[in-house]
Amino acid sequence: MIRRVIAYVALLLGCVIAIAPFLVTILASLKTTGELVQGIFSLPEQAQWHNYVDAWNQGRFGRFFLNSIIVVIGVVVPSVVLSTMTGYAFARFRFRGSNALFAYFLLGLVIPLQALVVPLFYMLREFHMLDSYWALIFPQIALSLSFGTLLMRQAFLSVPREVMEASIVDGAGSWTTLWQVMYPLARPMIGTLALMFFIWTWNEFLLPLVVNINPDYHTLPVGLLYFQQRWTSNIPLVAAGATIIFLPLVGMFLVFQKQLVEGITQGAVKG
Amino acid sequence: MQNRSNPESVGTLTGAAIPAAPEITRARGRGLAGSRWEPYLYLLPALLVFTIFLAVPTVGTVILSFTDWNGISWGTATFNGGQNYIDAFTDSRFWDALWHNILLVPYWVLLPAVLGIIPAAVVHQLRLRGARWLQAGLFLPYIMPGVLIGVVWRWLLNPIFGPVNAILKDLGFNPPTWLGDFTWALPTVGFIGAWAAYGFCYVIFIAGLQKIPQDLFEAARLDGASGWQEFLAVTLPGLRREIAVVLSVNLINALRAFDVIKATTDGGPGNETSVLALYMINSAFGSNRAGYGTAIAVLLAVTTLIGSLLVLRVFGERDD
Repeated sequence: MIRRVIAYVALLLGCVIAIAPFLVTILASLKTTGELVQGIFSLPEQAQWHNYVDAWNQGRFGRFFLNSIIVVIGVVVPSVVLSTMTGYAFARFRFRGSNALFAYFLLGLVIPLQALVVPLFYMLREFHMLDSYWALIFPQIALSLSFGTLLMRQAFLSVPREVMEASIVDGAGSWTTLWQVMYPLARPMIGTLALMFFIWTWNEFLLPLVVNINPDYHTLPVGLLYFQQRWTSNIPLVAAGATIIFLPLVGMFLVFQKQLVEGITQGAVKG
Repeated sequence: MQNRSNPESVGTLTGAAIPAAPEITRARGRGLAGSRWEPYLYLLPALLVFTIFLAVPTVGTVILSFTDWNGISWGTATFNGGQNYIDAFTDSRFWDALWHNILLVPYWVLLPAVLGIIPAAVVHQLRLRGARWLQAGLFLPYIMPGVLIGVVWRWLLNPIFGPVNAILKDLGFNPPTWLGDFTWALPTVGFIGAWAAYGFCYVIFIAGLQKIPQDLFEAARLDGASGWQEFLAVTLPGLRREIAVVLSVNLINALRAFDVIKATTDGGPGNETSVLALYMINSAFGSNRAGYGTAIAVLLAVTTLIGSLLVLRVFGERDD
């Protein structure tokens, strides 16, 4: 019994340590700089909601939010569609070079962005794509495809073969079979995949930092970095900016916790 | 891992039910071939994006790493043999950065693995209820952007306004400035990384423990094994695969660290927390040495590859 209690307390402590920094940041975002030094857990005399307004306006978080959303949609939708197609091709057709092509796609799992970002920058410059959404969308899709192909191939291999063959017997082509029969069956996996693509794109930092210098095209992580550098000494304002970024993620986490945990467990192979 | 369903049994099954289905017979044994180029059409768009935006720049990195290109105009680049690599090996800043990556390993790789495996084993051994709920809290930092983690900890560790030093001062300590301190900056960045990763390790280990056959644990208990003995004899060997996954994921994160460090110290104070990825970016774009920067990128990729091969070598699947 005592062991159980100790174990619970230890677990709870681990949990508190994981969450506390976020809670303390929310609290700080509602204080004045003066109140900040009076005590960590002291409540502000009056909640300083204007910190959020200031952060939103001065930090241009509205614009960065919009940019992040545009990029995420531009990455996640095509990545899911393309991964579904490649996964289907590798799971359901046998063709010349299929093993070599599959291996080629998997190479993306071992090549970090760090290893290609410098030439990528100069390539995008040649394409006149720097300082645009395209500079984020195309490379991010390319970075998503390895994991997507791997996962969707697995998902389609687990669909019983009879299901697809019945559809072909009905006279449906492979394209119709994919979208009308196979896609609905693989939907849980596709949901997990979309969630992973979302998180990776939303959190990506190195790519947007390098390819988009113009603040009009900054995404949230890059925007937050420059915001912090500009307002180093105004901690409540920085805390408000940080809260604006992590609260939506917390909300999404609470809604999709199960799929996220599953996705991360699967995504561990992405490396 | 799913196995490809057996085409033989399917063929006989559908073949008996629907005799007049020539496609099925054709499909038997060699997958469904609508037409010979059909699978390639499915792959084509993905192949194009993948090749142009991932494969080509990767090859570009290797090629550029053998040039003295300044990154400004293409005409000025000339091949200089392996001079960039020679430069790197004689550049103390390169060695510093690599050394800092290696120093991060105990903090970013081993510490979170230990902090994850112990509670996972305890929860499993004592069959604690409500642990799923705790899992959610533990996991939260892992889905946050590295920059956000950096920004949050930067203020938490702020010497004047931050709560960490406030608590330590109340307890009678005389805390350093952490991220601004030459001795403490690297361990501090290390602890931040461990904080961000231990929930992830816990989740992977808990999932792995469900897969170990329960009778192994019961057998150990019947033999009178203590909790610690059970951990060593059943839990650890049973989790070998998960340990390999966690260690290699953490190791890759440590060797290509960028986001958290950019947001907390940007390599400082002085050069104390500079890492390879940061030095690469600064060389290529800050000092207009694209050739040299790509050489560092190649060395970073090779280091990462060697690191993960080592982990797989020690913990990976063996045929037993």
